Amino acid sequence: MKKAILYLNQFFGQVGGEDIADYAPEIREGLVGPALELNKQLAGEAEVTHTIICGDNFMGSNQEEAINTILGFLEGKEFDIFFAGPAFRAGRYGSACGNICKAVKEKFNVPVITSMNDENPGVEMFKKEMYIFEGGASAAAMRKDVKAMAYFGKKILLGEELLSAKEEGYYPRGERHQIWLNPPVAASDRAVDMLINKLTGKNYITELPIPKSDLVPIAPAIKDLRKATIAFATTGGIVPVGNPDRIQSASATKWGKYDISETSDLVQGEYMTIHAGFDPAAANADSDVIVPLDALRAYEKEGKIGKIHQYFYSTVGTGTTQGEAARMGKEIAAELLSAGVDAVIMTST
Amino acid sequence: MKLEFGNFYVKDVQFGSETKYENGTLTINKEEALAVVREDEHITKADLVIAKPGDNTRIVPVKEAIEPRHRVGGGTIFPGVTEELMQAGNGTTHCLKGCSVLVVGQHWGGFQDGLIDMSGEGAKYTYFSQLQNICLVADTDEEFEKREQQKKNHALRWAGMRLAEYLGKAVADLQPEEVERFELDPVTKRAPEVQALPSVVYVMQLQSQMEESGYNDLVYGWDTNHMVPTFMHPNELMDGAIISGSFMPCSSKWSTYDMQNNPTMKRLYQEHGKTINFLGVILSNLNVALEQKQRSAMFVAQIAKSLGADGAIVAEEGYGNPDADFIACIVELEKAGVKTVGLTNECTGRDGGSQPLVALDELANAIVSCGNVSELIELPPMETVIGELQALARDGLSGGWDNDPILGPSVREDGSIIMENNAMFCGDRVLGWSTKTMVEY
Amino acid sequence: MTKEIEKAGITIVQMANLIPIAKTVGANRMVPTISIPYPLGDPNTPKEQQWKLRYHRVGIALEALTTEIQEQTVFKVKV
Repeated sequence: MKKAILYLNQFFGQVGGEDIADYAPEIREGLVGPALELNKQLAGEAEVTHTIICGDNFMGSNQEEAINTILGFLEGKEFDIFFAGPAFRAGRYGSACGNICKAVKEKFNVPVITSMNDENPGVEMFKKEMYIFEGGASAAAMRKDVKAMAYFGKKILLGEELLSAKEEGYYPRGERHQIWLNPPVAASDRAVDMLINKLTGKNYITELPIPKSDLVPIAPAIKDLRKATIAFATTGGIVPVGNPDRIQSASATKWGKYDISETSDLVQGEYMTIHAGFDPAAANADSDVIVPLDALRAYEKEGKIGKIHQYFYSTVGTGTTQGEAARMGKEIAAELLSAGVDAVIMTST
Repeated sequence: MKLEFGNFYVKDVQFGSETKYENGTLTINKEEALAVVREDEHITKADLVIAKPGDNTRIVPVKEAIEPRHRVGGGTIFPGVTEELMQAGNGTTHCLKGCSVLVVGQHWGGFQDGLIDMSGEGAKYTYFSQLQNICLVADTDEEFEKREQQKKNHALRWAGMRLAEYLGKAVADLQPEEVERFELDPVTKRAPEVQALPSVVYVMQLQSQMEESGYNDLVYGWDTNHMVPTFMHPNELMDGAIISGSFMPCSSKWSTYDMQNNPTMKRLYQEHGKTINFLGVILSNLNVALEQKQRSAMFVAQIAKSLGADGAIVAEEGYGNPDADFIACIVELEKAGVKTVGLTNECTGRDGGSQPLVALDELANAIVSCGNVSELIELPPMETVIGELQALARDGLSGGWDNDPILGPSVREDGSIIMENNAMFCGDRVLGWSTKTMVEY
Repeated sequence: MTKEIEKAGITIVQMANLIPIAKTVGANRMVPTISIPYPLGDPNTPKEQQWKLRYHRVGIALEALTTEIQEQTVFKVKV
């Protein structure tokens, strides 16, 4: 039999109400409050072995301590899945469930499941990182919400196919994958029907909701270029001939850095592009059209900039996933920081 | 324009002493057919192999698919491409339905080539697993591109078109089993009750990214990179006026077969006079420079508006930078007051977490999505391989790799494979066949 | 990628042809280039002209790095 552990706040852990919301974490063997229902719903596949109880305020104001204490409780315990809540519309409880689930998932690499009402701020904070089931507004929905968490938990434990957010009832985690429609409806029919609905003012549902853009804070302007070290980075696949790092021509997962401290021009026969997404002829004949080293050297000579960083950084942008691009970006950023680079010219194709 | 397709439903294909069609069976005289293939001296080796639905067969690298046809009354089925220019879309064309000529590299593949499984789990990823496929497996002396990742595949693709035309002759003088009629009155000469319906255009954004000739989709033989959007009759486009190119990760590509059988066009025809007034097609492209993208979007919106379109469907052949054309075109149309639906696929990465299109705009509020190019697919070995399996790993197919630090090579010793959807032959079927969609997890 | 480098606090300018894509992926300082395969020098033009264009646009990129901005900004180029 698989083993599960449940996290509750002081109220559902039947310790007390708001007056003891700064109750320090505690672990009890066996079932407390909602754990009884969870255990019942998991029956046959898993048993709830322990219940963890922590005051919402304690988690809120001593988060690190609370999490470390709880992770300490779990150390050495055998468990296959971790549940928290349901937290309904309680904001602090929702945030606590999210925080503890995240920490448990990271440390023990077990599936974590919680449940919150759509107005619980914990949903926005944590929905990308875990399965949060769409729950009721108050404890009146307890049985239903626990059942939903348990049902899905059993599916995970049994290795069954996990369906989309909408079908299963959890909040979308921002992972889009292809599925086959059942019954099958051809894209031509979907498109024409959608257009007729749009033209006649009827409802239709787009299959690709446009996500909101998420911008990073603008870095400050460089005060004095004459003292600045400037680096080149590119997603245009410029590499020394021979592609020593074997960067992929598409869907890249690798990047390379190439020493240009002795180079003032990326000439044919020494540099080339390995990018598969465009006609490479121009860049192979003169890689400066993608990494304009010759021009920046001129500015360096004029004294307009301090110096050009010893390396340029290169990968391929086509088909590269955002996750991979972000990872490579982080790795390159770390190098640039430690090398004391002040500014970057990024060229993309 | 009035077009009739005389259809013959091919249920079986076999080799025999005479190329003929009888009771649903297409018989091919192999030597005679191969002689047509070898008319081009660049073809150095050629063979024909038949692959049927349910066969335990994997086909790779597939470069092109073509429906065999015959133009009744004379003239080529691909005007301006295989022979001299003539108007397509009028008159009668005989079609061998349910079968296709697949052009397969005997050894060498490239970025734009794909894979087909005729049975098992892999079969659902391509439309062509359900067809009787006449595979032309051949090699050429085009040494300049043998080791290039981007291949024009000129000799092979043209040989495929000649073969399709040759096979089509088998039904030249026969009585079709079914006739499909496609007719639209001139835009300003339609019945008042048709004019009263919402008017709709269909915008096809054809792949045209390469500046060098030989890679892009062609319209009457003209490189779509060198065109500006233009108004065309759907009949022309279903009747051989456009052919597929040899560029773009394969699942996003539209084969010539797809263009000959465009399901969205057919559905718009069905609705014509009932729920909509189908004005016609605006043929557009997917060039690389921003100014070219903006110019095409402007041209499309202007043509649509001047024709009086109330609605539009925009279909994109590709992903990545073409997403910018797709979104720009939808935005221009919406700004011109044309209610628009987009048809595309997405690139959300193997983990599903990437932004679905590289450019986005909230005016693109009605999109039909046909799949994720980078979905990871693992398939068991198949008994028979037509072509060369190693091409998937060795030759830079867009969804294959020679060695991934975590996943290993795309082609394993036992013949099983791991690849991205990218390498499924014309798998995302954005012209309308796709029964895939995208959902969030 | 640009976003991750900027997130680390390093001032960055993105030189790209497809400004709509650069905007969508969250670049803050942007300088347009002329095409995808040859962002900074059209091979169909003389070498001197390619150099002039490249020198000018890299100059604009340097100007972008020294300009305080409040929102996503595309810097105008003349050549």
